[in-house]
Amino acid sequence: MSGGVKCRDWKRIAEGLQLGIPEADLDRITAVLDALEAAFRPLAASLPFEVEPAVIFSCETEGIP
Amino acid sequence: MTIQQAAAGLRERRVSAAELTEAALDRARRLTELNAFITVLEDRARKQARQRDEELARGQDRGPLHGIPVALKDVFCTKGIRTTCGSRIFADYVPDRDAAVVERLEAAGAVLIGKTNMHELAFGITSSNPHFGAVRNPWDLQRIPGGSSGGSGAAVAAGMVFMAMGSDTGGSIRIPAAFCGTVGLKPTFGRVSRYGVMPLDFTLDHMGPLTRCVRDAAITLWAIAGHDPRDDTSSRRPVEPYVPPREVSLAGVRIGLPENFYFERVDPEAAAAVHRMARLAESLGAHIVPVRVPDIAAMNTVGRIIVQAEAAALMERYANRREDFGADVRALLDQGRLLPATDYINAQRLRRLMRNQFRGVFGAADCLLTPTTPSAAPRIGQSTVEFDGAEEDVRLASTRLVRAVNVLGLPALSLPCGFDRQGLPLGLQIIGRPFEEAFLFRVAAALEDATDFHDRKPAL
Repeated sequence: MSGGVKCRDWKRIAEGLQLGIPEADLDRITAVLDALEAAFRPLAASLPFEVEPAVIFSCETEGIP
Repeated sequence: MTIQQAAAGLRERRVSAAELTEAALDRARRLTELNAFITVLEDRARKQARQRDEELARGQDRGPLHGIPVALKDVFCTKGIRTTCGSRIFADYVPDRDAAVVERLEAAGAVLIGKTNMHELAFGITSSNPHFGAVRNPWDLQRIPGGSSGGSGAAVAAGMVFMAMGSDTGGSIRIPAAFCGTVGLKPTFGRVSRYGVMPLDFTLDHMGPLTRCVRDAAITLWAIAGHDPRDDTSSRRPVEPYVPPREVSLAGVRIGLPENFYFERVDPEAAAAVHRMARLAESLGAHIVPVRVPDIAAMNTVGRIIVQAEAAALMERYANRREDFGADVRALLDQGRLLPATDYINAQRLRRLMRNQFRGVFGAADCLLTPTTPSAAPRIGQSTVEFDGAEEDVRLASTRLVRAVNVLGLPALSLPCGFDRQGLPLGLQIIGRPFEEAFLFRVAAALEDATDFHDRKPAL
């Protein structure tokens, strides 16, 4: 748990995705990821359903008629 | 000397582009301990300067940057010139095209002195580059210049060039500007084309200048801003005359001073310097308005998720070359690879909400004044800083007051606002409404004209 949020098992995720991240490198980043997730997940949970992502895509600018 | 002064000297034949260029090259050569450059273009710069002098002699005047020595952070693609992105991965990359900014600076007559050193892949704030060596702060060689545009900050502060371009994904122009005592502008997202710039990120990268004074930054923005169909995010809004007049008034301007977040966990000297500037603005006719800002820490979290995910996606093809990355960048890329896609998408959804929330701030104030960084430059190798008895990671502390502005896409300018007890520069951040760069320059110029911080030079 970090900040009341159940943490992901980053090592198992890395292993499952076959990312090839050495154990020692994973050890260095799991606490940082736990803290980031603890801050982020309550924000994501508060999102209204209809909000779309702020990414750019336009057929017009790609010249598609 | 400023760009305006040099431009006047060139037109009055008191100085030539060749002489300005030789002086820039000489200073870059004498101050190699700063490690500000990855590539210095001596022969090319001399040739370009001669051409600029010939053009002026026959009446061809390209504008205020004509014949002015400048530098580019080594993320801007330069045709036929190595562009490393501060990385071993791209150590031998020679682009076959120029970035849009490079094309525009060329059209404006600038003379390119070289490509500046930086934090590896623009993914960090120390500019202690494991492949090209640590950039050193001209005010104290044992300290970082900030980053990721650290070489650009050092080159301008040390008087090597009049202007150096930087890129800013989470503060990478404004942090080195603050730590090196220069002006640094991150324009509105879409104001300056990203075409031909090696990306760290697709949706947070911004390009802008670091300069010795406000009007030099305004001159540069005028040259590089404008629509570019090769960048889908490029704005079609017309470019304005950005350079403030000689006399600037702040009468009627409402300057917001945040009551929350921006002055928490900040070195008292940095906070006091900003408050002094606010009082100065008031004495120049501005109204100081206390404002409460939305959750900036949440915006920082969203910004970190987005940049880590996008940078990891960009660099995924090089994931099998782990040893070619520095340890800190490798760790950030690994974090990005582990984040679920849902986090990235939700971060981009939150970003849209946050942009709408922040609009309310500008109902009460025309701009915000904040510290750029919570303290002056940390030492090279220092991993944490202490505020109010609690330790904080140097990267997270240095980006804490600047990263949200990238998430919001707003224009922001860092202006020198004083020095701490150790003689290190402190920076003030002015945040404005989208596409109101001209207004930011006006406020910054009024404050600069009433102080002498920009006139002080490091003892090199």
